[in-house]
Order: sequence, then structure tokens, then C-alpha cells
Amino acid sequence: MIEYMPLLFVMIPVVLSIVIYLFKFRMVSRLVFVGQAAMISIFIYMLFEGVYENPITLIFGGWSPIFAISFYVDQTSLIFIGLTLFMWFVILLFTFKKHRDDHMYLFFLMFLQGVFLGLVQTNDLFNFFVFLELITVLVTILISYNKNGPSFRAGIYYLLINTLGAMFILIGIILLYYVYGSINIQYVASQIGQFSESTIVKLAYVMMLSGISIKVAFVPLYSWLPRAHGVAQTSVSALLSGLIVKLSLYAFIRIHHDLFLEASYNTGLFFFYIGAITGLVGVTFALVQKDLKQILAYHTVSQIGLMMMGLSSLNDVSFSGGFLHIINHAFFKSLLFLAAGQIIYAYKTKKVYDIQGVFKTMPFTAILLIIGMLSISGMPFFSGYVSKSLIKYAFKDNTFHMILYTLINIGTVTSFLKFSRILFGPKLDVMFIFRDSKRVIAMALLAIVSIAIGIFYLPIITQVFGFEATQVNLFDIRSWLDYILYVSIGLVLYRVVIKKDFKFLQKIRNFSMSFEDANYALILFMSVFISVMFFMI
Amino acid sequence: MNPILSFIVILVGIYGVATSKNIIKSVFSVTIIEAGTILLFLNLAVYEGGLIPILTELGMDVVDPLPQALMITTIVIGSTITSLALMLCIKIFHHFGSIEWKVIFGGDK
Repeated sequence: MIEYMPLLFVMIPVVLSIVIYLFKFRMVSRLVFVGQAAMISIFIYMLFEGVYENPITLIFGGWSPIFAISFYVDQTSLIFIGLTLFMWFVILLFTFKKHRDDHMYLFFLMFLQGVFLGLVQTNDLFNFFVFLELITVLVTILISYNKNGPSFRAGIYYLLINTLGAMFILIGIILLYYVYGSINIQYVASQIGQFSESTIVKLAYVMMLSGISIKVAFVPLYSWLPRAHGVAQTSVSALLSGLIVKLSLYAFIRIHHDLFLEASYNTGLFFFYIGAITGLVGVTFALVQKDLKQILAYHTVSQIGLMMMGLSSLNDVSFSGGFLHIINHAFFKSLLFLAAGQIIYAYKTKKVYDIQGVFKTMPFTAILLIIGMLSISGMPFFSGYVSKSLIKYAFKDNTFHMILYTLINIGTVTSFLKFSRILFGPKLDVMFIFRDSKRVIAMALLAIVSIAIGIFYLPIITQVFGFEATQVNLFDIRSWLDYILYVSIGLVLYRVVIKKDFKFLQKIRNFSMSFEDANYALILFMSVFISVMFFMI
Repeated sequence: MNPILSFIVILVGIYGVATSKNIIKSVFSVTIIEAGTILLFLNLAVYEGGLIPILTELGMDVVDPLPQALMITTIVIGSTITSLALMLCIKIFHHFGSIEWKVIFGGDK
């Protein structure tokens, strides 16, 4: 019985979405919560049955495992399933009052969840591609859901560039099938060492990883992300930053760490530097933006770089740190987006310098916003600190790498000092506060989880990743001093450079990548990757 | 047919997306890349003398059926993407009066 449960994670949301779309009553839209509750209880039941220790394989149709379509649920999948269920529950809670009569929106949202849960469980490379493409289509529709000019153009930019990425993934899958005669991830992963030196397999690796890099939004390829965030609705922005980008990182873990593990290509350092460049460039752009949502969107880019610095490592502690940062970032970045959405709704503007006095006008939202900001900037006792300390564990003796890491951190702190200026100032009489207890509960849940991971990280990491996180010490004077130093450098930087708004800062702000430029960037990225792959390693 | 030919088709598509100034041309270039991908997979799977993979008697010399099954799915996905992209093109034309990349992203910095 337990081995058929992964199927329910796909079936329940998809069937539910169709029911919601067909029967357009308000009572029916409440079913989304019933579905979420059902899936969460199935998930907890699976955990109690010990799926976390013993991965389960579900083979459809009774074919031989090499050819059959199959699901494979291991620890990575389970962590992502748990994250998805929690995040979807929060987002639905947040957006329900606004969209409960908008059955089309709920249809797309629930269908997306089904596809999403399918992708994190699939054990079949082709299904992997199909699910990725389905997610691209659904997210495009959700981005352009506002039905105005900017949302349509952001939608088509997202759709075309991500389809291009998916095509490269497909070419990689084809080449792998040509060599190994199977598209079963488990089987190919067990055989990969046999031909890993051949050009075709190396080419397949480059193709698949380049395709995934577009979806992860590494630096030359990031341009779709800020555009998409700028126009999407609050809940979709939170979903994009919190989960859709994380899904591409899941694809990275599956392909780079599972499928090509035995091939042992030494691309760790390459991806480390890509991550570091992504972090630096993302944070530079975030510093100069004036739009609340754009600041947060560029921060997603920079935090992805930070995650990559951990995930590219062969060290277990650093890898787990990157993984934990994926989870933590999903929580605090969604919290920031949701709170920022509330503020934008109330003040009817997105400009940082036009908003003031949030602390007096919307005290509760302001407190939640502060929790999110402290988490992302890595204050001890908040979740960001734990994962950031784990990430730097592998390279803490390497001076150059530490400098890169520190620069990213200082940039993060500085831009959130800029962000926090909206909190101060006199109280304004805003008329449009969206009063909804469900929204407050949704944001409070995210804030509570962020603090809980920051304080009870020891048992959580032992349970999830299976090692004692003695590398993290909350009462280490050094880390407190570091944080205070970052904040003071950030304050000076903000006062002296950012606030003056020099010419070159405006130039950076006005930099935008056209679609052709993005494609040239992709070609450049692939050529660098190919030369690293074939000539340097 | 040589697989190199399908790589050439893919490269034509990549040239297209990197140089088109027009959204419709970009959409078509993506479609061309997809067509090249499909050709590549089918090319790698067939060989001379191989029959259509429908077994009428045991022991027939058929080609590998899996690529064909997968590529039908890819064609379906491709048509979905193309239709969605063209729908967005129509909407963009209604809003901006143009389908040039430069014009639609020109006004906003």
C-alpha cells in the first residue's frame, strides 16, 4: 500500500483542480484546504512508516524497471515534498480571500502543485523533461495572469528562454539514451562510470547542466527572473522565488549529484565560481534598485549564488548547508515577498523612497518583515545564520573564497538597510490595508518556522541530514562581531555611496538584457562550460 | 540521414533566437530547435532495413520504439508551447502595437 502513496501526491491536486474548475461554487474552492490536509497527513504517515530511511520505488505497468516509467522517493524527494506541501498551504492561505471566486486561478495553482510534486518524485529522465515543460507553461500563465502589457511581455520572455533551456535538457537526455539505452535515472546513474570519458556523455552533461542553469538563473542567464517578479502578483512572486527556482536547484542536485556522481567530473570549482559571480552580481543589482519587488528579486539571484557555493562542494557539511539554505530561503524570501506585497497594496506604490512609516501604520507586517530581513542577512538566532555558517565550512581556510563570501554578505546587509528605511518615519493614513486574518496567519507561520530553524537547528539537522551540526555556534563571539561589522560597514556604504545615487549606480540600475543578449549570454556560458569540461579537467 | 544534419538544424535555430528582432521569429526559432531535436532522436534510433515497430509476427527486425513514443510527446508539448507563445504575441500586439523586442521593452528601463 505504501508504495502507491507517491501517486496520490500527483493525483489529488490534479483531480482537485479539475473539480474546482468544473463546479464553480465557493464551497468547492474550500476543497483546496481539504486536499492540502489530506496530502500533509499522507506525508506524515509516510515519514512514520520509515520512507525516509528506505527509499521506495513505484513502477507503473509492471514492466522491467529499466524501461518502465517509475517514481523514486528518497530523502531529497521527501524534503522537497515537505517543502512544497508547506509552502503551497501558506500561499493558498494567503491568497484565498482574494481568489476564492477566481476558479481559473485556483485551477492553475493546484495543477501546478500536482506537476511540481510529480517532478520531485520522477525517476525517468523523459518525464523529468515533460514535467519541467509543464511547469514552464503553467508559470507563464500565472505570470501573465494580470493581463496587462508588462505581464504579457514578461510572460513571453520567461516562456521562450525557459523552453530553450528545456530543449537543451532534452538533447542531453537523447545523447544519454543513445549511449546507455535507458532513461531510468537509477539505472543510468549506476552505469554512468562505464562511458563517462566519451565525448557524447560529456556533451550530454554540458547540455543538461546548461539547460538547468537557465532555469536556476545563474548570472549571465538570470534576466528572466527580475522581469517575471516585477509583474507577477504577490502570491505568484512568493511562489516563484520560494519554490520554482528551488525546483531548478532540485534538478541540479538530481543531475549533478545523483546522475553524474560516478562519472566524477571535477566541475565543483567551476560551479563554485559561477555561484560566487551570481551572488556578487545579484547583490550589486539589488543595491541600486529602487523598486521593492526588484530588490527582493535580485536578492533571490544572489542567494542562489550562495546556495550554489554550498551545493557545488564535495564536502558533506557544505552541501547540507546549501541544501538547508534552499529550504530557509524558501521560507524567509516568501515571507519578505508576502509582507512587501501587503505594503505595496496599502501604499499603492513600489518605490522604496516613497514609502515610509510602515512600523507605525502596519506594525504586525513590519515585525514580520524585520524577521525576514534578519534571517536573510544572517543574524544569529535566525535561520539564515545556520545555513550560511554551514556553507562556509568547506572553504573557511581559503582566503579568496572567504573574501567573495564576505562581500556577498555585506552587500546583502547593505541592501536590506536600504530596504528597512521604509519602516521609519511618521504614520500615514493609508486607506487600503487588506485586513485578513488568514494572511497574517500565513506570514506568521513562515516567520515562526524561520525562527524555529534558527534556534532548534541541532535536532532538525540531525534528523534531516544525519550529522551533528557542531560547526554552528550561536554564542560564538566571532560570529556576533562579524555580524555587527557587516552592519556597520553596510551603514557606511549606504550613507556614503548608495544614498548619493551616483551616475554609475544609475547606469547599473538601467542595465537591462534584451532577449537576443540573453541568448548570446547562453552561447557564451555554454562555450565557457564546454572549454572547462573538455580542456581544463 | 546523418545526425550531423539535425545538429545543423539546431544551430540554425540557435542562430535564429540570438539574432531575431521580432518575437514571432524568436518563437519560430525555438520551434526549429525543437524540430532539430526530434530529428536527432529519430535519426539516432533508426537504421537501414529496420521495420516500423508494430509486431505482426515474432522475431521481426524492428527499430527501437521508445524514441518514437517519446518524440510524439515532445511534438505535443512543442505545439502547446508554440500556441501559448503565439497567443501571447497577439496580446502583446494589442497592448504595444508592435511585436519587436526592442519596441516592447523600449519604454521601460
